[in-house]
Amino acid sequence: MVVNTNNNLVQNTTHKVVIPFYVYAGLSFLAATVLLFLSDNAFTQHYFQPRTLAITHTMALGWGTMIILGASHQLVPVLIEAKLFSNALAYAAFVLAAIGIPLLVYSFFQFQFNGIAQAGAILINAAVVCFVLNLAASILKSKNKNVHAVFVFTASVWLLATTVIGLLLVFNFTKNILPKDSVRYLSLHAHIGLVGWFLLLVMGVGSRLIPMFLISKYDDAKTLWLIYFLVNGALISFIVLFFSAVDSVFYTVPLTAVSLALLLFANYCREAYKYRIRKQVDEQVKISLLSVAMMLLPVIFLVAMIALLLFSFANTKLVLAYGFSVFFGWLTAIILGMTFKTLPFIVWNKVYHNKAGLGKTPNPKDLFSESLFQKMGLAYLAGFGLFTAGILLGNTIVLQIASVLLFVTAALYNVNILKMLRHKPLIK
Amino acid sequence: MNEVITNNPKKCDEALAALHHVIDPEIGLNIVDLGLLHQIDFDEGNKIVFVSMTLTTQFCPMGDSIRSNAGQAMQQAFPDYTIDIDLVFDPPWSSERISEQGQQFLSR
Repeated sequence: MVVNTNNNLVQNTTHKVVIPFYVYAGLSFLAATVLLFLSDNAFTQHYFQPRTLAITHTMALGWGTMIILGASHQLVPVLIEAKLFSNALAYAAFVLAAIGIPLLVYSFFQFQFNGIAQAGAILINAAVVCFVLNLAASILKSKNKNVHAVFVFTASVWLLATTVIGLLLVFNFTKNILPKDSVRYLSLHAHIGLVGWFLLLVMGVGSRLIPMFLISKYDDAKTLWLIYFLVNGALISFIVLFFSAVDSVFYTVPLTAVSLALLLFANYCREAYKYRIRKQVDEQVKISLLSVAMMLLPVIFLVAMIALLLFSFANTKLVLAYGFSVFFGWLTAIILGMTFKTLPFIVWNKVYHNKAGLGKTPNPKDLFSESLFQKMGLAYLAGFGLFTAGILLGNTIVLQIASVLLFVTAALYNVNILKMLRHKPLIK
Repeated sequence: MNEVITNNPKKCDEALAALHHVIDPEIGLNIVDLGLLHQIDFDEGNKIVFVSMTLTTQFCPMGDSIRSNAGQAMQQAFPDYTIDIDLVFDPPWSSERISEQGQQFLSR
């Protein structure tokens, strides 16, 4: 007889909460690549137009935010070593966002900011409120409030700020509730989302997961705190500068702070890699590490944009390349890698958690096809590189070929997800 | 590597041999070389084996499975005994606990 006297094992968040977010995100990525294929002309013109807005929000909300919300419900308990406060709030966040996102994207596509857009924005905000409350309550109950948890919680607050501004912008299209027209606030809305939500969250979670998967001895909380203050300082100074309406040259201050934070984070990952015990690095971690290097690409575009602005010369191609390299670049790369490091464990637990000891079980990494993953990685790198080149060259043929490659990437990603979700137990 | 504390070195060796077959599915290394075991004591009067072990993190998604597999392996090695598994997380696991063989396996 086997007995367990002391069950200190903290229960993981149920797969029922997490998997819907992953599925929704995968389908959104596929939808975004279809929109990309149908909108090649949009990437040779000005960035503020219906299709570009629809694609951006499908990627930012449907793909990036939904998968991060899902993964956070699973990973935050790991970071803070405490149970998730409420599954009900997590379900509510999913349902509200799942309905709100298509309403908003449809409105952008139609370029109509009526009741549908407003309802979508309200639902998305309600979803984010559920997420922030759940996170805050979980962290408050936890005894381990470490730097990673602070990163994640601060990121969630910036997400709320982003969606609240988004809501105001949607209403401002039809009623003048802001002093200026909505287009003037786009860079504020976009950068709070990109830097405050995505960048801070990826850094907070990545700084824990990358050393964990590499079994690295490297740990440097001081550097992480420095990164935290640099990113938040950059964002706050950006907001102050935005409302002060100062000369473009002052934007080099937040840009320098973010660039420094990125370099420190890249070095943190490099050190973790250097001091790893596990020498063999799997493809999923490799693509996640590649995404860290890809973070520098948007910064290069941003530096070029600010440099041109100093000479009163705006370049829309650089703006498009900047946005594309954020959503289809580092954000997509890290999601492609981390999905296949996290979802296999979630599915494995769903299928085998009560079958331990009954026979040999497969390893989590055996639940998806490694070969499909590699093909997906190749299609992605080729598609991303070509599309970026297509934007800069203004060539629609290159853009169309690249969008087909990105569609193949999304299709292979979804096939592999489906393969995992359909996995049947190999032992009875 | 941290030595496993025991009140019966001979039987502990048998236990460790059995637990060598229990693998952490993510890392691919057995739980003995991974340094997950703290203590294995034998109560001959009551026929109980007390196993004190840890996991790489308290939230290890494979935790339940690793613990159950360890229990099954011990039960097969000591069929006349009750196996009592105690999960402890203080002190927390660190990579310093990995044995030399384990380090060699991971550096391949």
